[in-house]
Amino acid sequence: MRKILIFLLYYLVITPVGTVWRSVRDPLHRAREPHRDSYWNDLSPAP
Amino acid sequence: MSDLVLGISAYYHDSAAALVADGVPVAAAQEERFSRRRHDSAFPAQAVQYCLREAGVGLGDVAAVAYYEDPRLKFQRVLTSFVASAPGGFPAFEAVLPSWLSWKRRTADVVRRELAALDMGPVPEVICRRHHESHAASAFLPSPYPSAAVLCIDGVGEWATTTLWHGRDNTVEPLAELRFPHSLGLLYSAFTYFCGFKVDSGEYKVMGLAPYGQPRYAPLIREKLIDVKPDGSFRLDLRYFEFLRGRVMTGRGFEELFDGPRRHPESPVTEREFDLASSVQQVTEEVVSGLARTVRERTGERYLCLAGGVALNCVANGKVIDEGVFDEVWIQPAAGDAGGSLGAALMVAAERGSPVRAHVGTGRDAMSGSLLGPGYRDDEIRRYLDGLGVPYTELDPDTLVERVAAELATGRIVGWFQGRMEFGPRALGSRSILGDPRDAAMQSTMNLKIKFRESFRPFAPSVLAENAKDYFELKQDSPYMLVVCQVAPAQRVASSTPAGVTGLDLLRVQRSTVPAVTHVDLSARVQTVSEHVNPLYHRLLTAFKERTGCAVLVNTSFNVRGEPIVQAPADAYACFMRTNIDLLALGNFLLEKSEQPEWREDGDWRTAIPLD
Repeated sequence: MRKILIFLLYYLVITPVGTVWRSVRDPLHRAREPHRDSYWNDLSPAP
Repeated sequence: MSDLVLGISAYYHDSAAALVADGVPVAAAQEERFSRRRHDSAFPAQAVQYCLREAGVGLGDVAAVAYYEDPRLKFQRVLTSFVASAPGGFPAFEAVLPSWLSWKRRTADVVRRELAALDMGPVPEVICRRHHESHAASAFLPSPYPSAAVLCIDGVGEWATTTLWHGRDNTVEPLAELRFPHSLGLLYSAFTYFCGFKVDSGEYKVMGLAPYGQPRYAPLIREKLIDVKPDGSFRLDLRYFEFLRGRVMTGRGFEELFDGPRRHPESPVTEREFDLASSVQQVTEEVVSGLARTVRERTGERYLCLAGGVALNCVANGKVIDEGVFDEVWIQPAAGDAGGSLGAALMVAAERGSPVRAHVGTGRDAMSGSLLGPGYRDDEIRRYLDGLGVPYTELDPDTLVERVAAELATGRIVGWFQGRMEFGPRALGSRSILGDPRDAAMQSTMNLKIKFRESFRPFAPSVLAENAKDYFELKQDSPYMLVVCQVAPAQRVASSTPAGVTGLDLLRVQRSTVPAVTHVDLSARVQTVSEHVNPLYHRLLTAFKERTGCAVLVNTSFNVRGEPIVQAPADAYACFMRTNIDLLALGNFLLEKSEQPEWREDGDWRTAIPLD
């Protein structure tokens, strides 16, 4: 029963949400970006 | 009553507890040492009990409990990863989600319940810190520097995988981060997996394999797997990795890039694995060096503090030191997740106003040589030995040191169990197996007859701090055995490797006056031993030097392959009897193998201990 619920949750909720989300932007920022100088996420301004 | 903060790391790997009293680490230990399950991830009940016992307090005396990561943020990352990889990640989703839904996202409550179950008094407030914040605090707050750049690199905690910090006074200020899934630790773990070793355990084997190979895959790794910017920041190409989708690290992508399927665990290691190890090690060193240069530029600091699992890569640490970007580098001895317990506790203690930086200015760190684990008095050891009814000789410390030095000088191997146990993965002369480094056969003898492990694994030297430069090209002290450097030219033997000798055959070539601790590339993972940190071990090295002229000993952890380092006298005696260790120095008691009664135990211990 639990396996069925997890299966439904994955394919009826997670997968559609993922498909829509990725069509807007990748939540994990997986693409290489050759034009960028840096991949750092700044957390405080550099001195 | 002191202001006490208990730190806890748990539920991933290397669970641990640490106790900070008035800002000073007074006790810390990994749960695996008590449970005897390597990398134990369970709640560290016995480690907590030990820490409280060591301080003579109960939970009611503890002001706060600091947990080393933020479970809600981690759950957010886990869920986002599933959403991002759907529909390809169902097997992982099915395996992982139930535990997150049932308890993991409420880890603080679980910790509270587990502490209450110990029945050691009322449970104080549980405060969650972020994973990399705990690492950064563990790197900077106990360091000897008034201010420093801080670099944390690991697999992943919540989101961050690599972070830059500026440590000043009693705080660490975050500067920048790289986020999951872009992780240097996971890149290294992927190669660990592909080379047939266990993830989160076998990474140091890959590091040890690297000098046997050629970095012929390094260009391919740079081209296909990791995009590194000039400032050291990077992204992985996730098309080649499986850890987002499945429960393994690599798949067809790696197989196509690297000439076939992953090595089957325990099958012979081939030239390909040597070269893969060499290649990923080279790329890792390049990235770590780039990160170090960036954090130097961003902070302007002369000192660097390191933590996170990748900071256990002693070769990369040695390269950072050699490049001279920093005047000095300090590495948290429990750099992996176990050290997160200490970092979280120190951070909460600092916020409570405890003087966590009182040691700054003394020239020493606050780790007490990392000897923060349990110790056993002679009367406790005697009671144990008398209970067993085994023969021993009780000696005063001076006689013990002289006798052990004499035995080592004749090539005998000694189990050395003294004082408080080390916190962190390295044995530093409290729970060590020792040997004579001048003996060319010692490396193979200790690997095959003592540790029962792979023949390629190198051994590390302990050297008197005052003689370190006579033997090694070391630019700074290395008290925690976390720096690899080259053997000094004066100790090298003028012999060249015969043409055509490769792989494990390189082991047969003697390269230095201390061949047992000289790796095939003339490197060594050095521990410098100072009198003020470990006086008894320093005396032993001094006695060995007086007898032989050599200020170095082979120092390997007191355990066999797959087993945690011994914690108690009973663990040490069992390891002594199961292996070909000749003598056991258990406190002031010396035990001769030849005098011991026959060792009997149910079943074959080698099958009971899972391989690492």
